[in-house]
Amino acid sequence: MHEQAYRFGSARHLVGIMGLPPVIDHGVGVILLNAGMVYRIGPFRLHVDLARRLNALGYPTLRFDQSTIGDSGAGGKLLARPEQVVADVGEAMDLLHQQTGCRRFVLFGLCSGAQNAHSVAHADPRVVGAFFLDGYGHRTLGQRLRHYLPRLMKASVWKQWLTRKRAASGPRPPEPVFVVEPLPGKVVGSQLADMLGRGLKLDFVYSGGVSRYFNHVRQFRECFGRLADHAGVSVSYFQETDHTYVLSGDRQRLLDHVAQWMTRHFPATRPG
Amino acid sequence: MKTRIEADLPFYFGPGRELFGFYHPAPALGGTAVLLCPPLGAEQIRCHRLYRQLAHGLAESGFPVLRFDYYGTGDSAGGSREVDWTRCIADVATAATELRARSGAQRLLAFGTRLGANAALVATEAVLAGVVAWDAIVDGAALIHELDRMQDALKVDLNRFDQARPDLDVRMQWQGFETTERLREQLARVGLPVSGSRIALLESREADAGNRPATWQGRSVESIEVTPHWHDIDRLEMAILSHPLIDAVKRRVQEMA
Repeated sequence: MHEQAYRFGSARHLVGIMGLPPVIDHGVGVILLNAGMVYRIGPFRLHVDLARRLNALGYPTLRFDQSTIGDSGAGGKLLARPEQVVADVGEAMDLLHQQTGCRRFVLFGLCSGAQNAHSVAHADPRVVGAFFLDGYGHRTLGQRLRHYLPRLMKASVWKQWLTRKRAASGPRPPEPVFVVEPLPGKVVGSQLADMLGRGLKLDFVYSGGVSRYFNHVRQFRECFGRLADHAGVSVSYFQETDHTYVLSGDRQRLLDHVAQWMTRHFPATRPG
Repeated sequence: MKTRIEADLPFYFGPGRELFGFYHPAPALGGTAVLLCPPLGAEQIRCHRLYRQLAHGLAESGFPVLRFDYYGTGDSAGGSREVDWTRCIADVATAATELRARSGAQRLLAFGTRLGANAALVATEAVLAGVVAWDAIVDGAALIHELDRMQDALKVDLNRFDQARPDLDVRMQWQGFETTERLREQLARVGLPVSGSRIALLESREADAGNRPATWQGRSVESIEVTPHWHDIDRLEMAILSHPLIDAVKRRVQEMA
């Protein structure tokens, strides 16, 4: 493993760690985006473990903090957040290209990172693939049926509902840190179709932690119709896993999944 | 401030360049620099932003600062299963040497949180002139008991999981990080050193916690109104931010310098 720390960007405002394989393939590099407000190492160090796994397979990586997150400062330009994200990831790709020769890039994003990966993949032609973890998706009739029907059969749920007004309400858990603001489904579908038309490979991974809006692998078809049949699309649903992969076995399963997907779609010609 | 941030430098250092550090330069007007020792596990991630803000604040006050990650944590080399308490303490000494070389400072002070405070306290006599310790661990065995309890609670947390997870899935882990029998044995022996003169103890005080003893073994303890919720599994991913804490640390460092 060989890692180097960088301060980069037009205003030297971005901070990232580049992971280099023993032999640089000059093919595809992987950029890991912030998951919510968690800094570049990722939830429970997920991004560190993933970057090193990919480095061992021959892929250069860059895990970095976007503007104003983690160790990165503001870029100094008055850009709306979506434009800033595209600019930041663009500069991350510039750096990885300068240091490794990579001209094509795969993005990895969890939650808001998936949302940002979606924006960049749609806007920047250098992106050839993306992992969207708990990214876009919306509630469907099927999702509601799968969610509510089993509960209607449980006596404990009825008992809880009937006694709710009498019971003193306990403290609410804190609001989730990771929230994806939904884009209209039609807009998302149209943008995904554009990406697939350009030849991008897209991997959608949903966890049981977002069952409030996505609770079965076939829901992707319910959301995006025939896009589910496209050869460039893969969809997985890890029901038992939580949103941030807090258990090491779940992270290992995700790493295996990413490694297999990468070697299938972007085989390194000279793996390290 | 923008120039200040641009000057801050991320880099790798130590034997084999295995440790990640972030150096925040300053004139070292008083000949003193400050080493920031992070806590371990999920607490390290939760405190990252606070440490960055503290580093900027101390550098603006004229103290060169080094933040760093122990081996097996953060951006440093090594996996989570390789975290070793003896190595953590050795890493404090390595980081102190690096800070002294970069800053030219004659005296080094340290700030540490939770186990980071304990690591700094162990290193005090050898390489540090003083330590500001926030919520240092008094009883390592009690800490292990609490971490185990949280992991048990995590297993059945239906706010997080769709279904409760079996024991096999959660064992030998503490809130997102693998652990080992060796680390458990090492941490069970952790406690506050009885001796040591240049120590400032800071303790979190929740708003409804009432009054607590203002001393510990003859040393004064300053209570800071901050609620880090170290033991709340609903907040494992939530950053801890506290301007009162940063102000208190800056004041204590200036008193010691």
